[in-house]
Amino acid sequence: MTMEAQADRIAWPEEAEVAERPRRRWLPFSPWHLVLFPLALIMLLPLVWMIVTSLETQAESLHFPPVLVPGSLHFGNYPSALRSAPFGRWFLNTFIVTSTVVVSNLLLCSLAGYAFARIRFFGRAATFMLLLATLMVPFQVVMIPTFLIVKKLGLFDSLPALIAPNLVSAFGIFMLRQFFRTLPVELEEAARIDGASRLGVLFKIVLPLSLPALATLAVIQFMWTWNDFLWPLIAVFSQRNFTLQLGLTVFQGSHDVFWPLVMAGNVMSMIPMLVLFFAAQRYFVRGIATTGLKG
Amino acid sequence: MGRLRRALASDHVAGWAFIGPAFLLIGVFGILPIVWGLVLSFQKSDLIDPNTPFVGLTNYRALAHDHVLRIAAGHTLVYTGVFVPVSVIGALFVAVALNRKIHLIRFYRTAVFVPVVASTIATSIMFLWLFDAQYGLANWLLGKIGVGPFGFFDSPRGALYAIIAMTVWGWVGFDVIIYLAALQGIPHELVEAAEIDGASRWSIFRSITVPLLGPATLLLVVWSSINALQLFDEVYFVTHGGPPPYNTAVVVWWLFSLAFRLGAAGYAAAIAYVLFLAILVLTMVQFWLGNKVVHYSS
Amino acid sequence: MAQVVLDHVTKVFDDQVMAVDDLTLTVGDGEFIILVGPSGCGKTTALRMLAGLEKVTSGRIAIDGRVINDVSPRDRDIAMVFQNYALYPHMTVFRNLAFGLRQRKVPSREIDRRVHEVSEILGLEDLLKRRPAQLSGGQRQRVAMGRALVREPKAFLLDEPLSNLDAKLRVQMRAELKRLHQRLGVTTIYVTHDQVEAMTLGDRIAVLSGGKLQQLGPPQDVYDHPVNVFVAGFIGSPPMNLLRANAVNGRITAGDLQLDIPGLADGDVVVGVRPEMLRPAGDGLPAVPFTVDVVEPLGDEIVVHGTVAGRLAGSGADDQIPTTGGGAELATVTARFDPQLRPTVGDRIPLRIRPEAVHLFDARTGEAIR
Repeated sequence: MTMEAQADRIAWPEEAEVAERPRRRWLPFSPWHLVLFPLALIMLLPLVWMIVTSLETQAESLHFPPVLVPGSLHFGNYPSALRSAPFGRWFLNTFIVTSTVVVSNLLLCSLAGYAFARIRFFGRAATFMLLLATLMVPFQVVMIPTFLIVKKLGLFDSLPALIAPNLVSAFGIFMLRQFFRTLPVELEEAARIDGASRLGVLFKIVLPLSLPALATLAVIQFMWTWNDFLWPLIAVFSQRNFTLQLGLTVFQGSHDVFWPLVMAGNVMSMIPMLVLFFAAQRYFVRGIATTGLKG
Repeated sequence: MGRLRRALASDHVAGWAFIGPAFLLIGVFGILPIVWGLVLSFQKSDLIDPNTPFVGLTNYRALAHDHVLRIAAGHTLVYTGVFVPVSVIGALFVAVALNRKIHLIRFYRTAVFVPVVASTIATSIMFLWLFDAQYGLANWLLGKIGVGPFGFFDSPRGALYAIIAMTVWGWVGFDVIIYLAALQGIPHELVEAAEIDGASRWSIFRSITVPLLGPATLLLVVWSSINALQLFDEVYFVTHGGPPPYNTAVVVWWLFSLAFRLGAAGYAAAIAYVLFLAILVLTMVQFWLGNKVVHYSS
Repeated sequence: MAQVVLDHVTKVFDDQVMAVDDLTLTVGDGEFIILVGPSGCGKTTALRMLAGLEKVTSGRIAIDGRVINDVSPRDRDIAMVFQNYALYPHMTVFRNLAFGLRQRKVPSREIDRRVHEVSEILGLEDLLKRRPAQLSGGQRQRVAMGRALVREPKAFLLDEPLSNLDAKLRVQMRAELKRLHQRLGVTTIYVTHDQVEAMTLGDRIAVLSGGKLQQLGPPQDVYDHPVNVFVAGFIGSPPMNLLRANAVNGRITAGDLQLDIPGLADGDVVVGVRPEMLRPAGDGLPAVPFTVDVVEPLGDEIVVHGTVAGRLAGSGADDQIPTTGGGAELATVTARFDPQLRPTVGDRIPLRIRPEAVHLFDARTGEAIR
């Protein structure tokens, strides 16, 4: 079965898995629930507690034992959070950076990935090796010189500084190359015989067949960029250029004790990622599973 | 003319045209920094002054005398030594538990996967609040089972455990997905054959499942180690970027501070390269050891 | 070594599919019984229920006098050979063979003895240190068998163990299996879709279709006296020729074929004649005109496909809807001739059909009339 199909079975279990034969006669349900239910609660606890706190008043939050159910749902924390810091601006910044990076990656990784997969050109093997080499080097080695490069290009402390180094990812090229190679070459050959150019083959034949892989790349890249902290910390200085992750640290510093407000800010920063996750859970799971299956 | 057209239409031109933009970008933002980083490590730089004199191996020699680095390295190793086994073994058992078709299984799986999408900062904020010494929910819950209360972030050890807890929370979903994929790759017939052979459920787990998960386990150990050695975000956030008393200093945090707060970028670059080397060596050792123990079926 | 009994066993899956329908069957101690039928007939499900890998919906299964419906596979003292062998890929052949014994805490000296004994029988001594990935298909199959033998169980269950082997190996292994059974005499239940295997290996064969037992008996009996159209069409290769016919006043007419059977009720019947019963007619004897269409020389005989007047009847034993080529009333029929005869395409040969060789089935129920 294809790797994608295998990965899908993780997010969407079908019959082929271990079917449960309830053996015990003294429980109406499988005993595994006794293990899994508490586990699920523990995993969701920090998130749920964050949401609950974001709906409490200041007084309720500074209370021990903690107030588990707030007196009323104090939604006011949310507009307050938006007002107390340039949240809207940060949202916009993060959104601009992330979408640009995702779109750019989809385009450039497709082009390069396709070339590495199907086009025989001079130096292909060597450049591919070079590409793999960059994957092996940790970010810390690269971050200082990248800062200097960005500074030299005059991009320091601007959104382009966040975008430029991430316009294309070696991982994305590698992933799409692997995927393209699984497609039947005959389709592309037939198209070329029919007169299509290389570019035409890529856009009219290959990419339409690669939508799942592209979706996976988009989703994974979105997550990395949205959640990125270290590089924005280095490349950006003024608050008005902050991404959400940077903004949250400022938030934390200036609202030491005002937890409900901080939690509201935190919730808002997570909403896009959570929405994306629930809408595209299958692609997240695929992305991770295929990494593992190839690794 | 025909030859020119043919040359232009040739695969070589097409290939380079396709990889062109990517090649340029990775050249500038990938290859160049790798090389420049090495060069930097032999220089003295504060990132502002364009004059960066060459200082030979001074930076590398200084590594041995840096006592903050020693503390940071110690913390990093302790963190890695706890994080990797806890998250990988924990993920194994969780994946086995999740590998069945019962009611609510999608809910359970989603609950385990969701933390992966939370950013390091968002997670840190959640846990900072959860583990608050005065008002945190954690202390209240622990009190219910007769344990604590704990200071968590007030002490270096507590902070370390708290960071382990929050990073395990954030990463276990990733490991579980990898394990689930591997578990589903084990043909069900093998389990049936083992049952008929008389193996108990635990025996099947021990003799069949775990060995066949060897490759996945090795991958996760390597991946987790690499990530653990690079711990930064949570530590930066928890210490608010402040220096002494180096409660939870880790290598990358110290590296960052040296380069971007203390004006010692050349030295920081040297540390970065040594870290790179350490990761490389550790990975190779793990693979070498792993390949002796792990059996790859087919 | 034990008796295996299936008593009115039924299996219904979650989606209301009835895989096995009221199956009753007793396998004698030491008997080699074959469950044979087309895919989906329920034979594998029946086997898996015997193994304990599927729960029985209703009915009882007993081994050695003990009802084992609720006994887990590990406690049933049976051994199974899977179609894909299911060898433990990360263990050496030795450990694969020893696994079951280790699980039952058999002392290692005894394990050693049994493993070496079985390896000798199956020719595996040189392979003991290898892993399954390093073995050929035939070797893996033998290891799978060895794993079952080493356990010395009450019964062997084999699920199409030869279907993944190439034709030559299959023939070899068939003989091996028979030899092994003669030597060891362990109760064996063997599942296959290949009726040749069924005929050659079994002491008795059980023909299944749609979850129901069609016929049970020694191979020759089932061949000579099929109880219904399905069994008639399934057992025997090439399959029995089946023609639609009409009975009126004790006379059956199927195209040019006419038979007199006094006392037969009026109605639609199916006439069945095995290919080897269609012989070229000697002079003067009543015969059916037969036009040769395709000739398949097999060396020791010639299989000839051709047409006679008449309409084909389906048996339900194959997926093909009987079609006739050309004209409205032509049926394709298969015959086996002596190699001496050299028929060519287009030859018209009169075929003689001995009345005793004709099988009759009720066209509506499929049951044998004669």
